[in-house]
Amino acid sequence: MMSNLTGAERTTAMTIAGFGALIGLAMAAAGHGDPMGVHGWIVLAFFGVLFFIVASALYSPEPVEDRALSYYDDPTKVGIILALIWAVVGMFMGVWVASQLAWPDLRFEGAWSGFGRLRPVHTSGVIFGFGGNALIATSYHIMQRTSRARMPGQISPWFVLLGFNLFCILAASGYVMGVTQSKEYAEAEWYADIWLVVVWVVYFILYMRTLSRRNEPHIYVANWYYLSFILVVAILHIVNNLAVPASWTGAKSYSLFSGVQDAMTQWWYGHNAVAFFLTTGFLGMLYYFLPKRAGRPIYSYRLSILSFWGIVFFYIWVGSHHLHYTALPHWVQTLGMTFSVMLLVPSWASAGNALMTLNGAWGKVRDDATLRFMMMAAVFYGLSTFEGSFMAIRPVNGLSHYTDWTVGHVHAGAMGWVALITFGSIYALTPVLWRRETMYSWKAVEWHFWLALSGTVIYVFSMWNSGIIQGLMWRTYTETGTLKFSFVDSLVAMHPYYIARAFGGLLFLTGACICLWNVVMTILHVPQKAPELDYPTSSEAMEPALPAAE
Amino acid sequence: MFKTILKPFAKLFDFQARTHYRMERHSMALTAGIIVAASIGGFVEIAPLFSIDDTVEDVPDMRIYTPLEQAGRDIYIREGCYACHSQMIRSLRDEVERYGPYSLAVESKYDHPMLWGSKRTGPDLARVGDKFSDDWQVRHLVNPRNLVPESVMPQYAFLLETELKTSDMPGRLAALRAVGVPYTDEMIENAENDMKGQARPETEAADAVMDRYGDDTAVRFFDGRRDRVTEMDAVVAYLQILGNLTDLAQTSQPQAEE
Amino acid sequence: MDISHEWFVGFSKSFGLFYLIALSIGITAYAYWPSLGGRFDRAAKSILDDEDGPAQEIKSEDTPCR
Repeated sequence: MMSNLTGAERTTAMTIAGFGALIGLAMAAAGHGDPMGVHGWIVLAFFGVLFFIVASALYSPEPVEDRALSYYDDPTKVGIILALIWAVVGMFMGVWVASQLAWPDLRFEGAWSGFGRLRPVHTSGVIFGFGGNALIATSYHIMQRTSRARMPGQISPWFVLLGFNLFCILAASGYVMGVTQSKEYAEAEWYADIWLVVVWVVYFILYMRTLSRRNEPHIYVANWYYLSFILVVAILHIVNNLAVPASWTGAKSYSLFSGVQDAMTQWWYGHNAVAFFLTTGFLGMLYYFLPKRAGRPIYSYRLSILSFWGIVFFYIWVGSHHLHYTALPHWVQTLGMTFSVMLLVPSWASAGNALMTLNGAWGKVRDDATLRFMMMAAVFYGLSTFEGSFMAIRPVNGLSHYTDWTVGHVHAGAMGWVALITFGSIYALTPVLWRRETMYSWKAVEWHFWLALSGTVIYVFSMWNSGIIQGLMWRTYTETGTLKFSFVDSLVAMHPYYIARAFGGLLFLTGACICLWNVVMTILHVPQKAPELDYPTSSEAMEPALPAAE
Repeated sequence: MFKTILKPFAKLFDFQARTHYRMERHSMALTAGIIVAASIGGFVEIAPLFSIDDTVEDVPDMRIYTPLEQAGRDIYIREGCYACHSQMIRSLRDEVERYGPYSLAVESKYDHPMLWGSKRTGPDLARVGDKFSDDWQVRHLVNPRNLVPESVMPQYAFLLETELKTSDMPGRLAALRAVGVPYTDEMIENAENDMKGQARPETEAADAVMDRYGDDTAVRFFDGRRDRVTEMDAVVAYLQILGNLTDLAQTSQPQAEE
Repeated sequence: MDISHEWFVGFSKSFGLFYLIALSIGITAYAYWPSLGGRFDRAAKSILDDEDGPAQEIKSEDTPCR
């Protein structure tokens, strides 16, 4: 890794790491006795380790070949590994908290192991740790390839990737210490939020600079999606996290907004985190890796442009469908509902575009588990966007809201769409990045595919069942016009589904572990191979390097 | 608001304008297009809510949280209770019959942040105040399954053993004032004493709490312990005030409705 | 700052519609602008053969893969 940096760059990296360590030390001193102090030590350790990694290689030989002749893939590689590690951690947390709902004593004595503290570790771990790292890593890959240009700097890609991971570490370690803003998917406290803004601005500049160096006249549509992910997440993050710290030496802060304004801002953020973190970025992944893997251009490039603007425009309105029948003014609820239904059009356009691309390549889909991951992701994307629009309709939402149906819907999207497209992309990317012939074990990819698919199906079906039963039990009346079931009755009815859900999650987690193992074994044990041969190409004559998956 | 959104990007526009890579205008146009397409929807939806007087009912007797209750609220947030308990009764018949009058916007007017929640693994808590005795709440928090065998709620016995930290409360009230909660200087100065006073009836400090926050303020040994003020005191004090900050909902919705 | 809540709400309710229509027309025109078709086709195909490294000023035969 270090051999790709010049002496001057190593010095710069050391300076940044040293500066970061100083900030950590200052936080540790100022926040003594508060969780912020612990975070200070974490920051110090993080930058300290980086400092020594760079320092130990400071005088090793400098790069000899012309770096401009190759893409800069080192940060991408590290990003992929980090994404998979976060996947295992985040999904393990998910299985644990799911099991706590079935067996509440499955915890340790300490306060940190309670459901309320662990649950955001799961959500942030998979969304930001797994999803975020995968997005950053694949965006580095895609922006260079589609621009046919190397990234402009050697330091800023590392700064973005590692800085983002520091944010994830601060967030997750904060939750177990009870540091949270309570805003779902934006729980991290003020100093972590400020740090993320810094990282994100560098990310945006890096992306724009790479695009501006491109040797292609047109910006490929995948980049549009990534760009919207970067830009809109920045807007959402800054607005929703506006808060006043109770003290500059403590973690606690209070949101600038309250009550109904806060609810609207939070769900404007919350649903657009789904849109611009969990959808557009991953659509960028889909629009690059799916055509690439299938060896066919996207079915309709024009449609991809139309659906891009449709998604960017419609999504931003829909957050208020989380607040049906609440104290939020009625017209805002209606606006959110209307746009949620219209959102189905660009969403299905994207899903259809992906599936039509595969039309004529179904043989490949059958034989190649990697492509099957992507195909299944597009199917789940279509299903969960339909479900989402349906659930946004006010009377439907009256039944589904507050129940496990919502949880099932989110996981249909998160496991079925986001995770499957990511795993597919990782399997497509790993041999290319590390210049390997193939993945270490194609059987393992097959296993992973079926584990992931069955895990998702079990999870989603059990949550559909429990959610609808729950919603119906809450509103069932006796003949005399009184409520028939107590809340506890509905809770008892959930028990078998909570067990099934934990089992589905366990299957999915097993798949993720297999993926991590497979990638590591590929790096360690598969022989090197020149890049242009280990990949399906547009040439008919060339045999795609796919295994016959018997 | 709009300016706030764009401000962080102003420098970037400037920076971009000064760099002279070819085709750059193209990618900047894309950037601008995304920002315009994406930000206007949110702006149009959220901005009107800030003409707050018309959005939120006007209630002169709306009470603010005492320092002890606010501390309980902070603990409620710290432990992630909001992940399983909503505080928003929707205007649906079964919810009104199960939990009480539907929630009004004014009731969370001083909630920074709001805790409306998104999931009911446990029941709604918007009007849980005074539904159970302090003793029930304490024993339930220590081990929910002692009282409700089927419950899946985590145990919070440690709250009873943890002395309540009072030293950072003045700073917290000051921050809340900065975001719009009408705490007075006097309230902020005396926050620490008020916290202890509310959990020690028939002391001078207890009377001072009543003076500052009204005679209806609940002053009790919330956790049943007389020797010290624990986090349990704060959490129970908070749970018992939920739904009782104003009685507007009860008076304006006399009967359960469709 | 003499904008009333009613005005705001009225604006919000109607503006989205006009904005939606204008944007749709604009985007559709862009996507189906005849002279851009070739560019889109090239872009769609371009990703299929981008593995060999950043484009260079053509130097010699041996432009390598890495």
